[in-house]
Amino acid sequence: MSPETLILGILGFLGLVSVIATFLAIMERDLLRAVLFSAIQSTVYAFIYYLLMAPDIVLVYIPVAVGLYPAIVLFLIKKTERYEGESGENH
Amino acid sequence: MIELETYFFTILVLSMFVNLGLALYGVLARPSLVKKIIALTILSDTANTFAIIVGYARWPSPTLPIKPPVLTNLNPSQVDILVFSQQAVDPLPQALVLTAIVIGLAVTLFLVFLTLQAYRLYGTTDVRKISKLRG
Repeated sequence: MSPETLILGILGFLGLVSVIATFLAIMERDLLRAVLFSAIQSTVYAFIYYLLMAPDIVLVYIPVAVGLYPAIVLFLIKKTERYEGESGENH
Repeated sequence: MIELETYFFTILVLSMFVNLGLALYGVLARPSLVKKIIALTILSDTANTFAIIVGYARWPSPTLPIKPPVLTNLNPSQVDILVFSQQAVDPLPQALVLTAIVIGLAVTLFLVFLTLQAYRLYGTTDVRKISKLRG
């Protein structure tokens, strides 16, 4: 097996993993776990960018999408409500 | 008989399309505003991935190994530039994606604080309940 085939095989596998993570993030009712699945999906995307020969994107994408996005959404969940579809009488 | 490399690359592109559909479903159909924000970030990331895939020179069946868009010579000759243009990936989509990531961060922060203000005013982040409110 040539290195090119190996890299493309890893890319296909990472694509499938990202589909699973995205599905769990969208379908999860607990928003805290949805944010964690979204961070997993972002990590997989960072590996995909690295293998697609875009290392400069990886350097920007990892702090923004794995660090900042979950941080500000966790801040939002802490200020509002944790479960999707929860009634909001206790504000 | 499909080649193995084409098969793997098709899996990658198709999984990106599935991600796009899932994220669109999340933005349009899920009731929680926080879930909509999460789905919107996934949507923008998937769109960025499509741009990078377009810039990936030498899709399956390569004869030369591909390289990142970096020239290692300080004063490249004509031959160096010719070889570089045949081997390197396209840097233009990468520059656009870099800009799009930063703009997406600003838009997401704006939406987060809009959602926070909506929660303070209405006491819920559920769009079905917000749409039923009167006054």
